[in-house]
Amino acid sequence: MTRQELDAALARLGLDVPEAERDGIADAVKYVEQMAASVRKPRSVMAEPAHTVAFPEK
Amino acid sequence: MAADFLTIAEAAELIEKRELSPVELCESRLARIERLDGRLHSFIRVLADDARAAARAAEAEIAAGRYRGPLHGIPLGLKDIYETAGIPTTGHSKVMQDHIPAADAVSVRKLKDAGCVVMGKLATHEFAFGGPSFDLPWPPARNPWDTTRFTSGSSSGTGAAVAAGLVLGGTGSDTGGSIRGPAALCGIAGIKPTYGLISRRGILPLAFSLDHAGPMAWTAEDCAIMLQAMAGHDPADPASANRPIPDYRKALTGDVKGLRIGLIRHFYTADNPANAATRDAIDAAAKKLEEMGASAREITVSPLADWAACGVIIMMTEAYAIHEANLRTRFTDFGEAFRDRMALSGLFTAADYIQAIRRRRELVDELDRAMDGLDLVMTASAPAEAPKIDAVGKFSILERPLLTMPFNVTGSPAMSVCCGYGEGGLPLSFQIVGKRFDDATVLRLADAYERATPWRGRRPNL
Repeated sequence: MTRQELDAALARLGLDVPEAERDGIADAVKYVEQMAASVRKPRSVMAEPAHTVAFPEK
Repeated sequence: MAADFLTIAEAAELIEKRELSPVELCESRLARIERLDGRLHSFIRVLADDARAAARAAEAEIAAGRYRGPLHGIPLGLKDIYETAGIPTTGHSKVMQDHIPAADAVSVRKLKDAGCVVMGKLATHEFAFGGPSFDLPWPPARNPWDTTRFTSGSSSGTGAAVAAGLVLGGTGSDTGGSIRGPAALCGIAGIKPTYGLISRRGILPLAFSLDHAGPMAWTAEDCAIMLQAMAGHDPADPASANRPIPDYRKALTGDVKGLRIGLIRHFYTADNPANAATRDAIDAAAKKLEEMGASAREITVSPLADWAACGVIIMMTEAYAIHEANLRTRFTDFGEAFRDRMALSGLFTAADYIQAIRRRRELVDELDRAMDGLDLVMTASAPAEAPKIDAVGKFSILERPLLTMPFNVTGSPAMSVCCGYGEGGLPLSFQIVGKRFDDATVLRLADAYERATPWRGRRPNL
């Protein structure tokens, strides 16, 4: 993510991030990208999320 | 005068026999807080008058023959995300510094019902996430073993106050390691119980599906005493489990014979490499447990980074949703560490979150399969002794995968246990993990190990 892209993303979020902190956040975006890639494993379309509601049996 | 250092169990025995006065114990802790906390900053609010009143009430009840049990008259501290009726509960943040709850958190009420004396509200990383921070209304807590060192977090004040003997126990919360991290670096015992065992109602949330409340104290036995009081079904908490609560203290038999332990070494030798002192201490602890009659074998699971990524995405996105409105309107009222982590959190997409909770189901199943034929797993709690507090960066939790996060993802009971002292006398630890709702076996092993080793005999020199 370029600094311009980060600025646009923060604007879309509505966050008034001080200028002095933006380069540091931009440097850390790589962690977000790495983690987002990490949770994408080959899986069936049927693979359920952990939060699927299971109602108690009567 | 009460001794500088007492465990809950020791003090309770003396109080029950009327050889120690709760008022005297309370006064001795207040004097100790007055003497030491200017250096430790473990409290953000000392409740001296309330504590004295509670101690007097406990003493009168006990004198009248109405002894409630092992927390009666015991001085405890509350992490300042646990709501307290009529007393500010701030999350250590400017954003909520004027927040005065109408009611106690359910777990606080339970501790009070057990007769404890609340000494005050303890420091935390901002909203249990952003720290250490030097730009908040209160300074960060310092490690009693060396006040230039980090306590870890987010239950930083609880770790420091218990280790320093300012309180005999305290409450923590753990979303990615916030009980076990400070327990490890401050050399105390801390258990993140099974998800749903302790009500979250009245505790400021960080991430709904990963938040666990739990006790922190000097010993596993003390944690068992506190857990007994805190655990139990709460219909008002949608995650609360409706299950019988065993007698945790009774489970502390001192015997580990026959317990089968899986050692996840790759977490701390390859995935987030620990220093030599930590690796050696864990190896020695595993050997000791084998000598005591447990069996240990090495097991392999997915790389730590996979578990950490899953947990961190869930934690950061749920936290962002909780704080979104204030982030948009008063961004700079948050500390820099918290707000900049939250800015990153906003960059995750909805699909990232859904993929993370799909990954979560896979990882829960994976740990269940790995524990088939085992009672417990063991790994590191922290990769090294406490670092210098000013050397911890604001994105440190993203730079190396958290050794504690896998068991937030799975909701398993997990505990940090002191297993020696390394560089400069700073504590070392291991992490022991049980099957969901088998918290008793985790406590049993930790207690037996503590009793068989000399580590509980050493305290910070303050």
